[in-house]
Order: sequence, then C-alpha cells, then structure tokens
Amino acid sequence: MEYDIVVGIEIHVELKTATKMFSGAPYAFKKPANTCDSVIDLAHPGTLPCVNKEAVRKAIEACTALNLEIDPLIRFDRKNYYYTDLPKGYQITQQFHPIGRNGWVEIAPKSGKRKVRINRIHMEEDTAKQFHLHDETLIDYNRAGVPLVEIVSEPDMHSGEEAALYVEKLRQTLDYLDVSDVKMEEGSMRCDTNVSIMPKGSNVFGTKVEIKNLNSIANIAAAIDYEAKRQAEVLESGGTVVQETRRFDEKTQTTVTMRRKEGTVDYKYFPEPNIFPIRLSEEFIKAVQEHMPELPDAKEKRYHEDYPSLSDYDISVLLGNKEMDVFFEETMQTAKNAKTACNFLATDLSGLLAKKEVSFAETKLHPASLAKLVNMIEEKTVSTKQAKEILELMLEGEDPEVIAKEKGMKQLSDEGAIAALVAEVLDENPQSIADYKNGKTHAQGYLVGQVMKKSKGQANPKLAAALVAAELAKR
Amino acid sequence: MQIKDYTNAASVREAYEKVLQAQEKLNASISFIDPEEQLQAVPEGKLQYMPIAIKDNFNVKGMVTTAASRILDNYVSQYDATVIEKLRAAGAVMVCKSNLDELAMGGTNLTSFAGAVHNPYDLERISGGSSGGSAVLVACGAVPAALGSDTGDSVRKPASFCGVVGVKPSYGRISRFGLIPYASSLDHVGYFTNNVADAAKMLEVLAGRDDRDMTSSDRPVENYSEAVGKDIKGKKILVFGNVIDALPDSETKALFNKYVKALEEKGAVVKTVHFDPTLMRAILPVYYIIANAEATANHSNLDGINFGHRVEADSADEIMTATRTRGFGPWIKKRFVIGSYALFEENQERIFRKAQKIRRLIVDEVLKELKEADALIAPASGAGAPLIEGQSTDELSDEYLIAENHMVIENFAGLPSMTVPMGLSEGLPVGLNISCNAFREADMFSIAAAVEEISGLKGNVKEDY
Repeated sequence: MEYDIVVGIEIHVELKTATKMFSGAPYAFKKPANTCDSVIDLAHPGTLPCVNKEAVRKAIEACTALNLEIDPLIRFDRKNYYYTDLPKGYQITQQFHPIGRNGWVEIAPKSGKRKVRINRIHMEEDTAKQFHLHDETLIDYNRAGVPLVEIVSEPDMHSGEEAALYVEKLRQTLDYLDVSDVKMEEGSMRCDTNVSIMPKGSNVFGTKVEIKNLNSIANIAAAIDYEAKRQAEVLESGGTVVQETRRFDEKTQTTVTMRRKEGTVDYKYFPEPNIFPIRLSEEFIKAVQEHMPELPDAKEKRYHEDYPSLSDYDISVLLGNKEMDVFFEETMQTAKNAKTACNFLATDLSGLLAKKEVSFAETKLHPASLAKLVNMIEEKTVSTKQAKEILELMLEGEDPEVIAKEKGMKQLSDEGAIAALVAEVLDENPQSIADYKNGKTHAQGYLVGQVMKKSKGQANPKLAAALVAAELAKR
Repeated sequence: MQIKDYTNAASVREAYEKVLQAQEKLNASISFIDPEEQLQAVPEGKLQYMPIAIKDNFNVKGMVTTAASRILDNYVSQYDATVIEKLRAAGAVMVCKSNLDELAMGGTNLTSFAGAVHNPYDLERISGGSSGGSAVLVACGAVPAALGSDTGDSVRKPASFCGVVGVKPSYGRISRFGLIPYASSLDHVGYFTNNVADAAKMLEVLAGRDDRDMTSSDRPVENYSEAVGKDIKGKKILVFGNVIDALPDSETKALFNKYVKALEEKGAVVKTVHFDPTLMRAILPVYYIIANAEATANHSNLDGINFGHRVEADSADEIMTATRTRGFGPWIKKRFVIGSYALFEENQERIFRKAQKIRRLIVDEVLKELKEADALIAPASGAGAPLIEGQSTDELSDEYLIAENHMVIENFAGLPSMTVPMGLSEGLPVGLNISCNAFREADMFSIAAAVEEISGLKGNVKEDY
C-alpha cells in the first residue's frame, strides 16, 4: 500500500540574550560549569522571576519574521513536574497564551513551493544540563533559565526533504534575525519531530511517533524517511504502530525506541502568580519590528534584482551561510562582479578557510581585498588562474596587488604587445600556419600556447587567442 | 518601649537578652542572632538601633533559614531578602529568627518542627499563626518590632491573640523577594509593633518598588507617620455585619460595639454592611484551594537536590521522594495532595479555576461597598487565643466560621489591613481589624491611631509571663 507521511516539528531555540529569561544572571555558551547561575536559577527558596525584556523583543522578532500574530498581553504559566534538571520543580512557560499564533513559512521542495503553517511560538526557560556518569549524575546549572522560544509547526510536512527544508528555513531566518545562535550541534536549536503515516488519500492520522534530539538537518531528513519506512513495514506486516519516543541512531541511520508513553503526564499547568500579565504597547511592538534586520526572503529578492548574474543556486548558497553572506555583501561594496565574488567565496575561499578551520568572520582576509582581487580579474590585470593563486596568499591579510606585483603576475592585456608576440610566434612556426591552412585546426591552439609561453603566462588568453586567429586569417 | 526608645547598642543587647530569656517559656525563636557583628557598624536611619525579630521564612544571608520545616533544617540563606536589606540600611539590628507554622501554613503555630509557640498571656494557649513567634516576641516586650508574613491572616490573627499591632499592607506595597512563599498570589510581607506610630514608621522603611519582585508596586512610598493622629472626622467606616451577627453575646462583641460608638463620637460615619452570605461561606474553601494549589508548585524546589535537607537514596528520583517524604510534616503533605488534586487537568476547571472566579466575586462583593467608604472593621477574632490542648492542627477540616476567617478577604483583594488591640475578652487579648482600599494605608493608620487612642493600649506589652 502507498502511504502519506505526516510530519510535525517542535523546535526549541535558545535566544541570544546577555542574561537569562527570569533571573538577570549573565549567560554565555561554553562557560565553565555552574558559573552562570544565580540563586534564582538554582530555585533557592524565596526567589522570584523577572521577565527579560530583551527576550520578549527577540520573541517578537521571531514571530514577525515567521508571520505569526502577536498577542500583546504577555502571560506565563507553570508547567509542573519533578526532574533533577528542573530546579524549581516547574518550568515557567506560556501554555495558555503563547506570544505568537498562526504563522507560516514558505519552503521550496522539488515538488514546488508551498507553505508550512506554524501553530504557535511561546517563550519559556531552559532546564539544567545533566551528565550521567556510571554511578553519578552531574548537573550544570548554567543552562537553567536560559531563554527559549518553542516553535510548533502544524503537521504540514510530508517527507524528510520537506522537514529538512522547513528546519533550514527557520534556522536561516532566526540566524539572520540574530535572535539565536541556532547551532544544532551545540544545542542552541533542538528539534523534536512527530512522524505518522496514513494510507494515501486518507484523512485519518496514524499513530504518531516522536523522534527526539536530532542534532543536524541531514539527520532530520534521514530519521523521518527511515521512520516512515519503518512504520510502513510494521503496518504491511500486520502490526500496529506504537505511540512512543524514539531517537535517531547516527551510526546505523535508524530510529530506536527511547521510551514508551504510558498515559500522558499531567503537568498541572496554571497561570504563574508571580508575573502579572504584561501589556505590550503598540509602539513597543512596532519599534521592535522596525529595527529588524533584513530577512532571507527579502534578501533573496534583492539579490536577484541587484545581481542578475547570480543564479538561484548561487543565492541559496550565500543565504545558507550568514557569515559568508555578510562577507559577500561587504565585498560587493567595491567589487564589480557579483558572480566572480560569489564563486570565490562559495568555492575557493570556503575551501581554504575550512582547511584552516577559520570562519568567514575570523579570517584576516578583508572583504575589501577580495573585492580588489575580483576587480583585478574584471580589469584583466590578472587571469582567473592567477587570482586563485593570489587568493591563497591573501589569507594572512596581504593585499592582492602587492602579491601580484611580487610574483610578477600581471596579466598582459596590451593588445599591441600581445600582437607583437603573436607575430613573433607565427614567424617562428611556418609549419603550423601551413597545417592550419590545410584544415588542421588544432594548430591554432598550439600557436596560442606558444604565445602564452612567450609571455610567461601573463598574456590575456582570450586576447591572445583572438589575435592569433586574426593574424592567421591575414597570412 | 517604642522604637524611639532604642537608641544605642546597649538597648539592642538588652533586647537580645530578653529574646534569649523568653525562649524557655515561649519558644518564640528558632535561632538567635548575636547582634555584636551588626553592632560594629549600625547605619544611621529611621530604625537605628532598633532590635527586630525576623520570621524564619525570610532569607538572611549566612543564617540558617528553616521556615520551621525539617526539609530546610540545614539550609543557609545565600542572599538577603529585600526587606532584610532595607532593615539593615535603616539601622535595624536582627536579634533572632522567629518561630512559625511549618512553611507558614497554619494558624496555630503548633506545626513548627521546632515546637509550639506559647502565648505570654497564658502559656497554655496558642500564639496563633503562622507568624506566632514574631507576635509573641513583640507581645512580651522583647523587641519593639518583628517581621511576619500574612497569606490568610497570619500576621493579623496572632496580633489579635497576643495583643499587639499587626500590619499587612496592600499587595505589592512591600517586596516579597526573599520571603519563602506559601501562596504567591496571597502572600504579603507584614510585621508587628506595640503601637500604631511605630507601625507607620516601619512601613516607610519596608515599602517600595523592587525590581526583583514584578508584583511590587511603583507607587511612591508615603509619609505614613503623618497619618497617625490625624482627625478621622467624616471617615466612612463600614462594620462587617456578617461577622458581628455570627458572634455570640460575648465580651468580644461588647468590646467591639464600644469601639464603634467611640469612633462615631470621634466623627466617623459608621454603617453596618452585610455581604452575600453564600459568597462569605465560600471564603475558606476558595482559600484552601488556591493557597494549596500555589503552595504545591511553590515548594517543588524542596527536593534535596541542590540545597536543604537530603535523604540519600539510589537514584535522583528516589532522593527527591525520600527527602520530601521525610522532610515535610503530615499536614503539609495533606495540603500538597489537595493542591495537586485541584490542579489536575481533569479537575482544574471545576476546582482551581472555579475557586479563582469565586475569589474574584468575593472581592467584587466587598469592594462594591468599600469603594464608597474608607474602611471595613470587625473583631480580628471572635474570642481570645484557644488552649493548646485539644487544638487541632488539621485546619483543612475546620468548619466554616465567618468570625474566624473573614480576614482572608484582604489577601484575596490585596487590601491593606491591620489588627490593633482593643482590650481583653475573658482575660485574653482580642484585636480590632481595620481594612482599607488598596494603597490607602494612610487611612488605615489614621483609623488605627484613633482606635489606639480609645483603647489606651499604646505600647502595651506583657512582660510578666
């Protein structure tokens, strides 16, 4: 039987704020354990929560970028459960009144562009991080109380591909907004997916299985595709899909059972009495929205208009890496050819930096220097091949013109000078001219090669070829 | 002695000695704070050299803070509550952490892990609770002021039983940061003094916006002392008819009626009001549902994992279970069960949410009248303090008694409310409760001062116990 796959995704995103959601304690990733916590994060008796205004701003930005309606009355609730990573014994979240509802993003799978609806975005606080050793558990409270938004999609995706595109779209958008680091491998973006299947054309949802802790976008796609296949096999062999939580095993590229759901947990949600509802003024919301950075969708459109030489693919590559894109934009302040700049960034420079494990933000190579290099090609003072050699030498911050000069890598574009070389070569190779006249066209290539050789590789090859052709015609 | 009588280190040391001496008979303290370190440098301020007792549910940095529960018996506070900071800055000197009902849940002060507090007027009788230790330490003349907390009537009821002034200002008037909670939407910081002028002065120090408590108000702090002694001519005072009707023909009733007449003589316009009896009957169940629901969540942090008393076990889950099983008294566990039950998804609408709605109806019912007046008055208790013997600690099974439970209304509504001694009934102190509109503490102090003038009980203490 053929099945439709139904996928819904819940994503937790750590907001990039200087302090925590309710405590005012400073927070940064990778700090030594238990150095970013206050009595509030540790839930010492008598402490009270205070809402982080910056986190609210960032949540508003996320809602706006993802087309959600914003509830101007901010309310929080308690989610009650006992767990060692939850110092208060409850999490402050927005169960009843999320800050955002009813949004969407557009994705472009192979089957064509479509919208994925977002049910809600709500603010909450993160839990502490636990390390289970063989006979003890260590708890790092640095993460306890870090601001989060949870983004809950509608079950609108139907394949691993669509799910991956959706997550990538969110990742990119939140990255450009600068509301989060969105690093799945570091846990600043965490993804839980719900997968079910139903007979093709049916509108009765199958039993859904939750897959937790997917740490890369590639794994999301792989996990969903595997899980859908697994569920189909279960059904085909006459079994039933069990409601459970599974995890993706990277080694085997399969999903394995984590825990079976035995009834649902009653979190006894109720309104947080220590935080009165906060009314956000229209001006406050507007001020936040007006200061939002340009989003990928708008940028994509602008790139198409400003840089017609860039293909859809080029643009998607640039937007897929914010640091590279920032570099690109700075390069284009003075560079005269977007396509050349993009190619250098996306292939040559990316490769060089990856080898050195340096990011676009960290490299000493300045965008203005890259622009200079791009323009040197554009002005035909160096060849593309030469430029690539120069690029390698620029990583420590050297100027491309200086390198070209030192290495004697000026491209010869003086028509007269090349013409003189062409004449010389032709004079020296009467046999080749004869061959050419007799229909052996490869002789022309040989002659161009000789010109290049004579110029020590500095002649503009296009110009050299054109002049050889013209001279041959004359003789 | 009033606050102004404490002017030097010697008077603080004397108070400390009195607190120590009181312990044997009254059991009013859980721990003592030798004042010498604080006396090294006493800042100039409104309360300079004023010795004060701190209810043991306020965090005082470096001190053990138990909230009278075994689960916190080794807990050392990591920070000062906002009110403690304010008291220190004003020059007050802490001399002890006072006894209370376990986690401030109770009205008898019989549930403390440190044992019962005794009433200085009759050692066989309760102090009332939950701020019993603080009430008693002021009543016996050991200290001129003591910090308490009031979730149902936990300052105002023991004040009545112990013959002292007990104040619970408006919700948001005093920061709760650092107060170990009972029920956050009902909790108020309160305090005791032996006279109204000191009560007004204390509020000037304790009140004010605190960014660490989002529910604290940014209204400016008034000069409450100015309100003391102000003419109450024309003040509209409502007598709580339901409470008076419920009282038997007793000395308390007679005493109260005497005050009503005297207030009228001072020019107050007195009128008796009756509220919907059905709503009044709902006060106690609504209180227990909301308070216990909030409490069960509030105390979920007491799990033995990162602070407090821990019972070792094989896994983290078992540690939490064992710690909580051993750490809480039986009455506390019963409250948590009730609170959880009210919050369960299948019950919440029917119980917890309904209780919140009825709370709103009760508040509206009272405010409808109070908004047109200045104060609502009633006896703070129907009679003097009950005997310890035979007194149940299982208040959840208490029957409905409007005369004993009406002061919860001011916690529901966040209204300023205070108890002032009105004399003895059957040989035991009883107080008169005055409640006013939100943030009209000045009205409250004016009327309280008039009551004090009538009673002649300013500075009243019971030193021979």
